[in-house]
Amino acid sequence: MATTAPHVGGATGQPEQKKHMNPALISMLLFIGSELMLFASLFTAYFFIRYGVANETWPPLKADGQPFQLPVLMTLVNTIFLVTSSFTLWWGEKRLAAGDNKGLIRGLWVTIILGGAFLLIQLNEYAHLGFTPQDRAFSGAFYTLTGFHGAHVLVGLIVLGLCLRRAYMRDFSPSYHTPLTAGSYYWHFVDIVWVLLFILVYLV
Amino acid sequence: MSYWWIRAFYGTVGAVLFSFLLVFLLRAAFGFEPLWDGAVYGAVAGLLGGIGFLWGIGCFDFWLGWAKGADISHEDHSFHGVSNWKQYFRLNTDHKVIGIQYLAMTFFFMLWGGLMALLIRTELAAPGQQIADGETYNGFLSMHATLMIFVFAVPVFGGIANYVLPIMLGAKDMAFPRLNALSFWFLPVAGFMFLASMFTGMFSSAWTAYPPLASQGTMGQTLFELGVQFAGASSIATAINFLATIITMRAPGMTIWRMPILGWATGVTSVLVVFATPFIAGSQFLTMFDRIMGTNFFVPDQGGDVIMYQHIFWFYSHPAVYIMLLPGFGIISEVIATFARKPLFGYRAMAFSMVAIAVLGFGVWAHHMFVSGMASWLRVPMMITTIIIAVPTGVKMWSWLATLWQGKIHIKTPMLWALGFLFTFLMGGLSGVFLGVVPVDIQVSDTYFVTAHLHYVLYGGSVYTVFAGIYYWFPKMTGKMLSERLGHWHFWLTFVGTQLTFLPMHWQGLQGMPRRVSDYDPRFETVNSIETVGSYMLGVATIIFFYNIVVSWKSGAKAPWNPWRGKTLEWMVSSPPPLFNFDAVPQVVGGPYQYGIPDARHAVVFAPEEFGGELKEDTRFPVLVVANETLTSQALIDEVRSRNADGLWSFELVAPVGDDDREVVQRRLATTLAILAGHGVAATGRVAEGDVVDVATEAARESDPNEIVVATLPLSQSRWMQRDVVDRIRKAATAPIAHVVVPADDARAIGGASALPMVMVVATEAIGAEGLATVVRTRADAQPARFTVVAPLDLPEPRWGADANERRRAAGEAMTATVNALVSTGVAVEGQVMDDAPSVALPLAIGAYAPSRIIIAGINGEARALAEAAEAAAGDTPVETVNLGQIAGA
Ligand code: HEM
Ligand SMILES: [Cu+2]
Repeated sequence: MATTAPHVGGATGQPEQKKHMNPALISMLLFIGSELMLFASLFTAYFFIRYGVANETWPPLKADGQPFQLPVLMTLVNTIFLVTSSFTLWWGEKRLAAGDNKGLIRGLWVTIILGGAFLLIQLNEYAHLGFTPQDRAFSGAFYTLTGFHGAHVLVGLIVLGLCLRRAYMRDFSPSYHTPLTAGSYYWHFVDIVWVLLFILVYLV
Repeated sequence: MSYWWIRAFYGTVGAVLFSFLLVFLLRAAFGFEPLWDGAVYGAVAGLLGGIGFLWGIGCFDFWLGWAKGADISHEDHSFHGVSNWKQYFRLNTDHKVIGIQYLAMTFFFMLWGGLMALLIRTELAAPGQQIADGETYNGFLSMHATLMIFVFAVPVFGGIANYVLPIMLGAKDMAFPRLNALSFWFLPVAGFMFLASMFTGMFSSAWTAYPPLASQGTMGQTLFELGVQFAGASSIATAINFLATIITMRAPGMTIWRMPILGWATGVTSVLVVFATPFIAGSQFLTMFDRIMGTNFFVPDQGGDVIMYQHIFWFYSHPAVYIMLLPGFGIISEVIATFARKPLFGYRAMAFSMVAIAVLGFGVWAHHMFVSGMASWLRVPMMITTIIIAVPTGVKMWSWLATLWQGKIHIKTPMLWALGFLFTFLMGGLSGVFLGVVPVDIQVSDTYFVTAHLHYVLYGGSVYTVFAGIYYWFPKMTGKMLSERLGHWHFWLTFVGTQLTFLPMHWQGLQGMPRRVSDYDPRFETVNSIETVGSYMLGVATIIFFYNIVVSWKSGAKAPWNPWRGKTLEWMVSSPPPLFNFDAVPQVVGGPYQYGIPDARHAVVFAPEEFGGELKEDTRFPVLVVANETLTSQALIDEVRSRNADGLWSFELVAPVGDDDREVVQRRLATTLAILAGHGVAATGRVAEGDVVDVATEAARESDPNEIVVATLPLSQSRWMQRDVVDRIRKAATAPIAHVVVPADDARAIGGASALPMVMVVATEAIGAEGLATVVRTRADAQPARFTVVAPLDLPEPRWGADANERRRAAGEAMTATVNALVSTGVAVEGQVMDDAPSVALPLAIGAYAPSRIIIAGINGEARALAEAAEAAAGDTPVETVNLGQIAGA
């Protein structure tokens, strides 16, 4: 804690406030950290139900005595949709960096369509699963995890939709695109959580 | 009701109705039976209702505008700062306002929580049932704990840090002012949901809400769960905001090692909040789903697991105890360094120990579950981490003590609280180590030993530290000093009360009295009644605190910039600070706690760019005020006062005599200066012979003012304006000119006269007499004051008769003449004719005017009679008698 002589006003001029990092992006990262922990708490519940409860076979049995079965193949396709959407978004951002607003709009459209398709397929899956959240603890955990994730996809789609609108208004430029970048962080996060979820709930 | 509150009302009601409709339609569409399920409707309505309220109060307007593609200005500051107290009740984006809103709101909930505590203690005053049966008692207990934890202890530091931290860092505001406003408004939503549960059947599973009890509750339980979500959202949003502020908004030169410890404390706490809070959100979602949707997370025979709840819950709630403590540690470090006049001992160790506490804090949660039936291999690791966490805490304790060691200790109220904290928190920390040891915990789990521990920790760590912070920064926040005397009373009553209430609980717990019960074995009667007495003392102490706050805020002594001679940046700006804290970006040049080191300084604060140079409390830039007839007017005095609020200006009043009577001008000037002094404005003044333009130009040359304020009557009545004085001064002097136009009526009444002492003049026969006006005038010249001339008339009976009327009329006329004569010579005076004999009228008048002095102006014998009547009624007020007959005779 050394003291240096203050250079006061005058010839040296007054100090300038410098910003080294973008507070909005830092905040988005922190928020994503927080969201990750929310999913972590739900995964904790899931693992307790899966491993903590004695004498359960896996997959566990439904109330009617049949084992739970999840449509792995269909979901795999769906997973590929969602993962691809992350790349299309990335491509759109790259186009913007090159000054190509049209490219950004295209990239956003494809991303949104892929994300929307994911949601619809997921809802369709719900309708044909053959068990409800009330069935047994496992089904509750399943619906809670996928439901929370679905809600996050929806929020991500809304955010990207707003970005799309702003892109049409030519709001973003290679030098200013904070909302878009924040939105894309969020979208990638939603995507990664899904991959985790797919592996931990559907595959393992 | 303002626009915003009406909108909030419609927003809430609309959202509730909408959610009913939504749930109804969805249930109908998917064929759920039965269509009506109160729990589901209630939960959705609670959630959307809260959001509807937030929309109504205006939290989302900016972002919705952005989403709609509207043209949004980021520089729109229309929701920034307050000009009167009513504006504290609406959305504001100024971190200083939000800080005070936070404190007021959390203390409001603390009062409710405290009331519940007193009810608990009243029920426990004696064995058997006093005021509440078991169910109600559970309600009281749950409400007490929930309010205290979720809407007092956790968010209250958000209030202090919100106010202080941005200034300490040298920033103009938080990184995200609008997010900040949203974080605050989440709080009332959460708190009032908890409180609303009083009407829907109180939740009774305490603040921990373990299933299966929590999965069985009623609507009250749903409100608890939703309230926790809102409170959690509030915490997370503020925490992210604090982190962004700390990372990106520190003033130039403020490296992280030059940051005040409060910055470290807030930063570390915020990391805990961001990463731990989602766990309680998760846990509350799960219990809610179990109860209202029929999932089976916690139903063992359906594959669920109750212990799982406790793991998730405590994974948040143990870090949460540090969320309630670390900011307090920061406050105490500031206070102790300042009042011990020594550099904080082990600054880096202080910072690192907080980081260590936070990291370790994530690895100890299961010490709350030693007897829960969790996996038994977890016990020993958790015991070890728990005991290790005492090490960084000990580092802090020793550092505080070492800071005190050989310090030059000043026992002001904030310091008292800091010392009280050291003792109380130490007690809690020691019993905490006991509880961390598995065999001891098995013995005392769920007994009053735990209650004793938790109150020592929370009272010491949250309540004492918050009080230390409030007593420390109140002068900065309000510009007023708190009463030290009341502060000492508050502290000592609280301190004794705390020990009386919670110390015996250790013994009681060791003897086996379980916690969370409304009745107990008679052998515990004595301790319990002692504790109840102690808790009432705490109640009284809290009343004293609020009294102190209210009275000091209204009429406390004015606070200087730096009453405690602190070194950090907030003490280098005015109290309260200007709207954007700093007029120019400050430069940090050293550490924050270099007390006793010659010439060491933490930072330099600059005056606005136009002036350049450093800004100190006594830095003043001159403003020239030119006025004559309008000197005493409200308009001019207001103008000067509003500039003075900047803290930047000193005022030089110049009154050109022109063709007027010099004495009259002199008197006006003296009155104005007295009024301004009464308002704490630094002003000097002089009367100058000669023409106004010459006088003003000459004065401007001498003092080189930053601005010239010229006050005149309106164009048609002003002699100056008819000669185009303002423009001529503008041409002759170089400084910018502000022209204040004073309406003629306003110019005669004396503005802000309430700042002057009140003198009452009593005269009956003497009104209208030659000498009266002179008497008043000389008194006014001796010391500027405002005067009330009272004429008590001893009227002949009948009082409605012609004689009486004639006297009344004559007295009235004489009074008007006297008053006019005085006013036109610049004296602040009013007159009143009273219809009663002096013995009746004077007590009334003295009661109504509360004069600081009484002057009796009588003629010979009448003077003596009046004086006797006045002295009888005056009490301690000095009475002076003037015999006008003698003066006339002499
Ligand atoms: C006037 C001051 C206070 C009094 C007299 C008081 C009294 C009590 C009592 C007697 C209990 C135990 C009730 C039972 O186990 O049946 C209790 C519980 C509790 N109190 Fe306080 N309290 C006070 C202030 C506070 C403060 C300031 C906090 C936190 C900041 C707090 C937090 C709690 C919590 C969290 C519990 C629940 C403990 C549990 O889970 O069993 N109390 N209080
Ligand atoms: Cu703990």
